[in-house]
Amino acid sequence: MLDLDLVVLHMEAETSNEIIQNLGALMLSKGYVKDSYIEAVLERERNLPTGLPIGDFCVAIPHTDSGHVNQSNIAITTLKKPSVFHSMVNPEEKLNVEVVFLLAVKDPNLQIQLLKNLMSVFQNKELLIKVRDASSKEEISELLSCLAQ
Amino acid sequence: MRKFNVLSVCGSGTVTSSMIAEKLKEAMEEQGIKITATEAKPTEALQLSEGGNYDFITHTSPLPKGNYPVPTIDAVGFLTGFGEDEFLEEVMRVIKEIESKS
Repeated sequence: MLDLDLVVLHMEAETSNEIIQNLGALMLSKGYVKDSYIEAVLERERNLPTGLPIGDFCVAIPHTDSGHVNQSNIAITTLKKPSVFHSMVNPEEKLNVEVVFLLAVKDPNLQIQLLKNLMSVFQNKELLIKVRDASSKEEISELLSCLAQ
Repeated sequence: MRKFNVLSVCGSGTVTSSMIAEKLKEAMEEQGIKITATEAKPTEALQLSEGGNYDFITHTSPLPKGNYPVPTIDAVGFLTGFGEDEFLEEVMRVIKEIESKS
């Protein structure tokens, strides 16, 4: 089961920075990441953005180096209205992102299964639409149960 | 088994490069090809590829401009699943090209 404290339904945020700060604060409050994490993610997003176009649907997977992480986890939010993230493929391109996965990864070699599961989530558009339209945290946790470590 | 060394590049040098490396290993194993992957950041890519230990580069972040001595393959489609077949076709094309030279 995903940590429900890291799931936010229909977040109201004006910018991608605000989303990262809000989700990062949840990670920080649970001790999953270090104090340096949020700024490191914001900095990385400016230079190497993480918006991903998935057909006519976009997600973002902000993250940073493992040095800023204490314990691996994923924070997830659906948005009240789509937010602009820049594309991982082409950083100049703006994407209207509908679901954000903030990743904290401590040891990618140990967390390969989690990362693989995340890739299969991206490849399942029907599942992502259900996540986007979910009406409770429990529903999101259920839909994304494959991500639970 | 045929073996290839891949430099898997992403912005943090950890997260999406590991995702790509692992998925590529699995996909290539079905073809009888063993992939060994090393993860790296974009800033390290050129220098590492010049070291001569890698057969090709896969990347999920834009690579810095430079004269890469080995083929570079955009792997974002492999990450999202939109462009997965094209990515694997490109990998097979590169592998065949390498094999025809050796």
